[in-house]
Amino acid sequence: MAYAYLFKYIIIGDTGVGKSCLLLQFTDKRFQPVHDLTIGVEFGARMITIDGKQIKLQIWDTAGQESFRSITRSYYRGAAGALLVYDITRRDTFNHLTTWLEDARQHSNSNMVIMLIGNKSDLESRREVKKEEGEAFAREHGLIFMETSAKTASNVEEAFINTAKEIYEKIQEGVFDINNEANGIKIGPQHAASNATLTGNQGGQQAGGGCC
Amino acid sequence: MCLIKFVIQFSPKELNIFGSILPTRCHIFHVIIVSDDNSAHVHFKNTFAANFTKHKEGTSVRFLKITTALNPRFKNLKCLPKSDRDEVWSMLSGVLKEQHLIAEITEPEPPKKKINLLVVASDSDDENEYASVSCALDCYRAEPVIGMDACFLEWWLKHEGTNESLAHLTHKYLVTPVTTVMFSFFFFFSPPPPPPLPPSRNFFTKRTKELKPGLHSAPGWKLFGKVPPRENFQKDSKIIQQEYEARTGRTCKPAPQATRRKTFEFEPLSTTALILEDRPSNLPAKSIEEALRHRQEYDEMVAEAKKREIKEAHKRKRIMKERFKQEENIASAMVIWINEILPNWEGMRTTRRVRELWWQGLPPSVRGKVWSLAIGNELNITHELYEIFLSRAKERWKSFSETNSENDIEDAGVSVADREASLELIKLDISRTFPSFYIFQKGGPYHDLLHSVLGAYTCYRPDVGYVQGMSFIAAVLILNLEEADAFIAFANLLNKPCQLAFFRVDHSMMLKYFAAFEVFFEENLPKLFLHFKSYSLTPDIYLIDWIFTLYSKSLPLDLACRVWDVFCRDGEEFLFRTGLGILRLYEDILLQMDFIHIAQFLTKLPEDITSEKLFSCIAAIQMQNSNKKWAQVTAPVRPLVPSRGKLVLTLPWSPSPRHR
Repeated sequence: MAYAYLFKYIIIGDTGVGKSCLLLQFTDKRFQPVHDLTIGVEFGARMITIDGKQIKLQIWDTAGQESFRSITRSYYRGAAGALLVYDITRRDTFNHLTTWLEDARQHSNSNMVIMLIGNKSDLESRREVKKEEGEAFAREHGLIFMETSAKTASNVEEAFINTAKEIYEKIQEGVFDINNEANGIKIGPQHAASNATLTGNQGGQQAGGGCC
Repeated sequence: MCLIKFVIQFSPKELNIFGSILPTRCHIFHVIIVSDDNSAHVHFKNTFAANFTKHKEGTSVRFLKITTALNPRFKNLKCLPKSDRDEVWSMLSGVLKEQHLIAEITEPEPPKKKINLLVVASDSDDENEYASVSCALDCYRAEPVIGMDACFLEWWLKHEGTNESLAHLTHKYLVTPVTTVMFSFFFFFSPPPPPPLPPSRNFFTKRTKELKPGLHSAPGWKLFGKVPPRENFQKDSKIIQQEYEARTGRTCKPAPQATRRKTFEFEPLSTTALILEDRPSNLPAKSIEEALRHRQEYDEMVAEAKKREIKEAHKRKRIMKERFKQEENIASAMVIWINEILPNWEGMRTTRRVRELWWQGLPPSVRGKVWSLAIGNELNITHELYEIFLSRAKERWKSFSETNSENDIEDAGVSVADREASLELIKLDISRTFPSFYIFQKGGPYHDLLHSVLGAYTCYRPDVGYVQGMSFIAAVLILNLEEADAFIAFANLLNKPCQLAFFRVDHSMMLKYFAAFEVFFEENLPKLFLHFKSYSLTPDIYLIDWIFTLYSKSLPLDLACRVWDVFCRDGEEFLFRTGLGILRLYEDILLQMDFIHIAQFLTKLPEDITSEKLFSCIAAIQMQNSNKKWAQVTAPVRPLVPSRGKLVLTLPWSPSPRHR
């Protein structure tokens, strides 16, 4: 599929906050209550449209455990957007945001757009972190903020797409140097790549199993 | 409404197929209000009724009747007068018996010995066969009718185990002719497909034997007229069976063949049979040429379907044969391992014969034992030591839950060397370990066991702590060894240089391993190597997952166990060789892909990967660089490794051209 731009995203945050589930909801529109844990990094891709332009998102979904931080750090390079995720039902995942942010700021390019996400908003009864706290943290650190639910899909599209809009605006404003791939942005190939069929195969494999 | 138009305009005009009536009708229920006040429904009803009456006498009625009876949605045969229903069942019984006869002629019984291995209870006594036919039929009739939304193919897949002979028949009747059938497009309007079954990976596949009663609260079904509520839809199938048994006075056990293992897959194509019919009377008749042409096309289609069926049968037979052979090999290998090798372990482990046998895969019954021996116990861990660390872990868990995890443990002033704090993380990961097997889920039989082994390890090695990925390794060991032995193997396995480097997430050491891997990558698969390079696709992207979990997360479990077998024989080198084997296996596909597709592909390998193909690819990978072996290439890594595992090095890797 031909695209105007390709943005690289990275999803970060503590283990078990729902990073992979957010990705799955965004790319496959489904929720898997019991999910394999992520070791190292996993990938997702989806095409979106902004301002009439086709934009391909290439998403790196990282492992959340503290031990893997040194590995994750090497994946910030060349990311245009980051989704920093915490779990609204686990206060400690919110408390760790500062260290995540430090890591992200230190190892990425300075223009990387960071979206703060309070996930699991469907579990209102178990909430430990107020929405206002998330908003305050975002305001203080200059992040975009959203509460999402990978389970109900609430705000999931928005989280990914709003991040892309912000990046797109920065490109329009000339903040991003799109010719430098270290910024996580690539201009689409002139020719339509022949990967559509491959994507189809991959997707079919996962979506298969139904009949009649 | 669009659909109704399709049904009415297309069905009678183009192809007049009885078999389409029931499913079509079923769909109609989803889109129109069934009421005589509704003109759309009346029109539909009249058109179909006329059509139906006209063709009632045709020869295809027999086929239709059987198809209807075999469809668990319609098997109450409400579309037929009560008096006609028994006739259908006896017809079906006849077909079943016929099938048995054919099966006996075409599929010779395997020799007695193999039967024992497979625990097949197969009496070829004719009377028994016939009794089993009627039993199978009775069992099927006792099952509740399923709802209109339910998928009957799915239903048959689930019931294949309990009622194999009928399920086989279904294959023929419900799924026969395929996409060539014009009306297959009707079924694109079907209700959403049911969720896919949990992936079956040979181990612990959960099989739902019965459909949840009352799940589909669909009304009963009658071809034309009012819709009565389904009489027995709340009844549990067990209750029905009990009632049935009480009534008939005999126990209905599953047909004897039910235990025979067999692959049984439906092609989710069309749902009905193909029958050639004339045009309905309200339309101009076909010209002779047209009729002839249709007849010819029809014959071709039937011949095609038949050809496909024969091909399928051959394929099934071949698979069966291979499986018999495999089982026999495993059985004979087991005898050798138990009687010859294990008693003389030290003397024989490095002999060529043992190494070759080892490559073929360890028989599951000796697998745990051989792994234990090969991994060794240079840490001298005893069962008592395990108990000590386990109780320590339990204490810590208790104190965690008392202080409540509110305050942050990781920041609670614990030194970096003390990674006992990672104890808390374990419980998050247990249920995310092999989630498709269910056994590690909360309440599952192995949940607590896995928790214990990982907890004890974290207390035993606070310098390493619990690191994600470990749960997969511990799980595989638990599946093959007793609890304490699994712990001993686990701790010793993780003490090997490569595992230690990875689980300590020693980044510089990991990079050295990746660099060594790339040396052999370039040597073995130069084209793919360049392709990856052109996308700056580095090996960490896929190797981290593969090495951390020793392939148990990325490969089907039975295949992962085979990799572990040879890993125990050859050491760390084999892990990287396996990685290259996977790349080689998929080289052609990977060469066509760009960065994101390669990354996605390698972090989620296809599930249909087979051990023969993979192992022949691994065998073709030479771990001998033009001038260096793996051990030499990775030599810079070694002196840095703090606690150097002896075993990897005492398992000499002898480069022989016949490395199998």
